[in-house]
Amino acid sequence: THYRLGKNLPFSGILFRNSRSALMDQAIAVIPRTTPLMMAVLAFQFAGCEYQPPAGDQTCFGYLTTPRTQFRPQCPLRPLQHHLSPYQQPHSCRSQSTSAGDTFPPLDADESTELSQRDDDVSIPPEALPSPPPSAALKSAKLAALHARLSLPPRLPIQTLARALVHESADPDPNFNNTSLAILGSNLLGLYTSEYLLCNYPRLPISVLFAAQSAYVGTKALALMAKEWGIESVAEPGGEVDPGLLQYRRLAAGAAWGEFAPRGTGRPNEQKGWRRGITSKIVYDDQFGDMRMTTPEPSQPVPLDIAAESFVRALMGATYLHCGRATTKRFFASHWLSRTLDLSKMFEFRTPTVDLSKLCAREGFEPPVARLISETGRASRHPVFVVGVYSGRDKLGEGAGGSLDEARVRAAVMALKSWYLYKPLDVTLPSDAEGMEPTKWKPNLVDIGEVIV
Amino acid sequence: MPLSAVKAVAKGQNGVGAFILQCKRLDFHYCDWAGSSRGMNAFIQKRLPQFARENPQIEITVSPRPHKHPVVKGHYINGREKAVCVRNMTTEMILEKASLLRDASGEKLKRVNKPVTSVNESVRGIWSPYHGAQYKI
Repeated sequence: THYRLGKNLPFSGILFRNSRSALMDQAIAVIPRTTPLMMAVLAFQFAGCEYQPPAGDQTCFGYLTTPRTQFRPQCPLRPLQHHLSPYQQPHSCRSQSTSAGDTFPPLDADESTELSQRDDDVSIPPEALPSPPPSAALKSAKLAALHARLSLPPRLPIQTLARALVHESADPDPNFNNTSLAILGSNLLGLYTSEYLLCNYPRLPISVLFAAQSAYVGTKALALMAKEWGIESVAEPGGEVDPGLLQYRRLAAGAAWGEFAPRGTGRPNEQKGWRRGITSKIVYDDQFGDMRMTTPEPSQPVPLDIAAESFVRALMGATYLHCGRATTKRFFASHWLSRTLDLSKMFEFRTPTVDLSKLCAREGFEPPVARLISETGRASRHPVFVVGVYSGRDKLGEGAGGSLDEARVRAAVMALKSWYLYKPLDVTLPSDAEGMEPTKWKPNLVDIGEVIV
Repeated sequence: MPLSAVKAVAKGQNGVGAFILQCKRLDFHYCDWAGSSRGMNAFIQKRLPQFARENPQIEITVSPRPHKHPVVKGHYINGREKAVCVRNMTTEMILEKASLLRDASGEKLKRVNKPVTSVNESVRGIWSPYHGAQYKI
């Protein structure tokens, strides 16, 4: 048959077969609308059972059977505010994610009427909405599975998880997208990462600190995390799609991205074009030492990385809002600090021997001297020299190389790295010393900084 | 700039800290008519709700596949999928296959020769003729 003519041979592992014939085209043209396949009625689907799976064939039995009536609106003032709004905008008919749902118990008489009225207001077809309505979150198997897969605490409502998945390119309305949550999450991630790095590695040079920060919570790292969490994204956002998918408007293949002009460096005397030094990067640039860019229009298509990053940041912000500091710190420790990053591979020295001499002079050590410790095969094709760098009687570092110079440079690099990567044994993070059960604060080492050559 | 930094991305180690189950979705396909689906139909009615309750991380899909053998198909985070044909199997055997798909990582099967795999470098330094037992002529 003709599907064997292409590359999709039956044994090729590609199970997708596409065969179109004139007969099929005719069938598509003639049949006005197709009805979905009839589902078998399963035992647990009978009326009266606790869980009724949603329409279609998507079911997630276990998670949704927990009684949802225990949820209460997280923000009970919302209906009152809604009532006070002087005019009725079309989007105000959409209920907020934090207070949506059809199974909420009434708070009291007034508010219950408010809630029911607002639910009656929802007459917009889902196709007309830019992102799925928050009430759809309760029926999404993907969302429930994601909640369970990430072991999110039960206090984090599934509607908020759904909102964290809506990027502003899909829904520019700030009441329904994740921008505000992402800003909070970004600040939290920056705080926890930088305090971890600064307290544990007090002598880390600033440029390496920026790179390490970006390695933990930069765009690439967060997009990778979202991928590892099994986040799938929509082909095209809309109100009718599953809210368990990442909602964003995707950039067309080959389209330009990242050509936004920098917002301006923010520095005084900008027009003179002065060099952006490390110190000014700390003051004026973002947490990774990069220039701040102008933000694109909210509804502009974005690459997947940007949308996935905003989801991870928004989830962090949502965890903080709903579950508090302790849970957020645990979440951060289990998902970020558990990742492995070899800081010693992030250094790139240009003049390590000079750096080491300056460092020794600054710290009052004797000037470093390189001595040959051992060698093998000097006259052969593969000589190996092991050279140590000594300051007085103390060995600062040791390196092996194919020539005496290479070994000496490697030894200097090792000595510098062992200085910069010093890690105190007992560290109290500032965020551990606050909150309900603070640990006793012990001041941390603050270093005077890297050596300036 | 005497010292610059090399950009990197921290690598995740699943199970150190958080553990993410690699199986995202399990599809159960059955046929109402064929005899090879008898065990599958019984599994869907009797055992599947409990299986789903025990594994909330997995999205479970049940759909008919008329005139075909029953299949359990697992979708994984790395983008691969694994399908197991469960024709003529009993409920227990299907449960075993579903558990196998749940526990799988989604990677291709490969032989593991080394007892330990580590991301850390070996702590042994450069070989030196002066260490250890020296060669005597």
